[in-house]
Amino acid sequence: MEIVNRPHVQNFIRWAADKPEVVVLSADLTNSCEVGAWRDTYPERFFSLGMAEQNMLGFAGGLAREGFEPFVHTFAVFIYRRPYDQLAMSIAYPNLPVRLMAFLPGITTPGGVTHQAIEDVAVMRATPNMTVLETGDATEVESVLDVAHAVDGPVYVRFLRGRVPRLFPRTEPMVLGQARVLHEGDDVTVLTAGITTEEALRAVPALADAGVHATHLHVSTHKPFDDPTVLAALRRAKRGVVTLENHTIVGGLGTAVAELMAEHAVGTPLVRLGLRDTYAHGASQAYLMREYGLDAMALVRAVERLTDTDTGLAEDDLAKVRVEEVHSLAKAEAL
Amino acid sequence: MNSSRPSAQHLAGIARRIRRRDLDMIYEAGAGHLGSELSCTDLLVALYFGELQVDPDEPSAPTRDRFVLSKGHAAGVLYVTLAEAGFIDPAELATFMQPGSRLNGHPDRKLVPGVETNTGPLGHGLPVAVGMAKAAKLRGESWRTWVLTGDGELQEGSNWEAAMAAAHFGLDNLALVIDHNRFQQGAAVADTNDLAPLADKWRAFGWHLHELDGHDFDAIFAGFDVARSTRGRPTCLIAHTNKGEGISFTRDRVAWHHRVPTAEEYAQARAELTEVPS
Ligand SMILES: Cc1ncc(C[n+]2csc(CCOP(=O)(O)OP(=O)(O)O)c2C)c(N)n1
Ligand SMILES: [Mg+2]
Repeated sequence: MEIVNRPHVQNFIRWAADKPEVVVLSADLTNSCEVGAWRDTYPERFFSLGMAEQNMLGFAGGLAREGFEPFVHTFAVFIYRRPYDQLAMSIAYPNLPVRLMAFLPGITTPGGVTHQAIEDVAVMRATPNMTVLETGDATEVESVLDVAHAVDGPVYVRFLRGRVPRLFPRTEPMVLGQARVLHEGDDVTVLTAGITTEEALRAVPALADAGVHATHLHVSTHKPFDDPTVLAALRRAKRGVVTLENHTIVGGLGTAVAELMAEHAVGTPLVRLGLRDTYAHGASQAYLMREYGLDAMALVRAVERLTDTDTGLAEDDLAKVRVEEVHSLAKAEAL
Repeated sequence: MNSSRPSAQHLAGIARRIRRRDLDMIYEAGAGHLGSELSCTDLLVALYFGELQVDPDEPSAPTRDRFVLSKGHAAGVLYVTLAEAGFIDPAELATFMQPGSRLNGHPDRKLVPGVETNTGPLGHGLPVAVGMAKAAKLRGESWRTWVLTGDGELQEGSNWEAAMAAAHFGLDNLALVIDHNRFQQGAAVADTNDLAPLADKWRAFGWHLHELDGHDFDAIFAGFDVARSTRGRPTCLIAHTNKGEGISFTRDRVAWHHRVPTAEEYAQARAELTEVPS
């Protein structure tokens, strides 16, 4: 698998070259959100607000009202929690084209509970006018810019940074409202988003080898959530549906799927894997994914329960996890 | 005056030991905020070993002084200080940021004895401290509340809302110490979102203002005495510090906000912190 180093950095610079209305706002996490080179390339279009997120979102609303397209870059947790009132009333209500680039979503941060945006998708889904996206690989990190840019209103993007795998070919960019079908089977349907897709890619083929066949969809648009492909896949599942999300199971992908199933009378069991209405501990991503049941093995066990099978699969039978960078230099921007 | 305070020389020894252990811990964990931690080490030492009325054997004693480290990203040096002060086992420092450890990247009040409130998102500490200080007033109790913020952190509007409230309530049992190291994460504070004139701002907000050298224990204690003796309003101590203080090549270098030393850098830093100054 190709691993792309900091795909946002050069891509965003190139992309913004012919879009003078695009401006970047940062709250002292410029390098951590991979826009240090962007600032140096377009200094007149870059605004450092310091740690002042309420002001930053109000400021973004003001710029957007006057015809600019602000791309706000900071950690997910800081973009929606403290300045939520500004986000709702100065950006979402007037339906302004502000792009909220939310880094280190869910448990991808080493910072512990204060830095974990675990209910952001729920809050953003509940915010009228908001489009909610999540990137799952380098191709989506690159192509989400076009998707967001084309939306006539505010967009929240769960963003990946650093060393990002390329799971989908460059020639297949993210498309608004379209899930990707990564595997097909009639027993169960598995829906993933963001970092959990890589986990399902480890588990689903192993399950197929063990005789349990899954349809696996990768979701990059959390809202609007009306993709006919998703509905068809939900209807196809003979034994049940499993969602796996880097988020609390309240209000995110699992909830969106439950809503869709209920609205369309899809009568099959649903298992929502994710943080079970709890705050999480602080530790490495890999450890937290195992600890809270967001990893490939948790998915295997859930599918076994749904289908009443014992596949006999163990961690060693699953495709290998990609090796995480642990060298101290690679960690210099851990936060 | 607090006559039972240890000598500046004694405290300097403790501070050097804490800096060394903090460096080791960050190097071992491969993560941490070295520059931010070195800048406030002397302030923490002065607080824990010469000011705060706290008891490691009874960390929740109702009459204890409250201390809030608002710049929660400096958790590492808080843990080392808490270990030095007897709140946690020094052996536990080896677990910093490891799976299952209580010592997360930001301090967690549910896990670590002596931590009064979770911090990490900047701008949380002062409002909570104002609430604590007001509670002491409501109950007629004599314990004091101390809070340590960064300087860049003061860009968060919540601090200024809290500043107004503290002055409005006349909280002379509250003292704010600002770790004024002139840098934040990515650049100098003055180049990011300037706070100047900082002292005038606090005065205008109704606080008693005192400036001191945050690496000079006698000056720090003189400031603490000012805070204790001020009546009718809260005190703000602007502590002039250097980010990365104690290691020559991290001092005043913004890159060391959260860089982790390489093996060579670690060896050099270790040597500098081991030398006993003449
Ligand atoms: C609300 C919020 N925004 C951003 C961050 C990320 N962050 C952590 S430390 C830091 C800089 C802090 O600067 P300062 O307050 O001057 O503290 P110092 O490290 O210099 O002591 C930033 C931007 C954060 N923790 N909280
Ligand atoms: Mg500072």
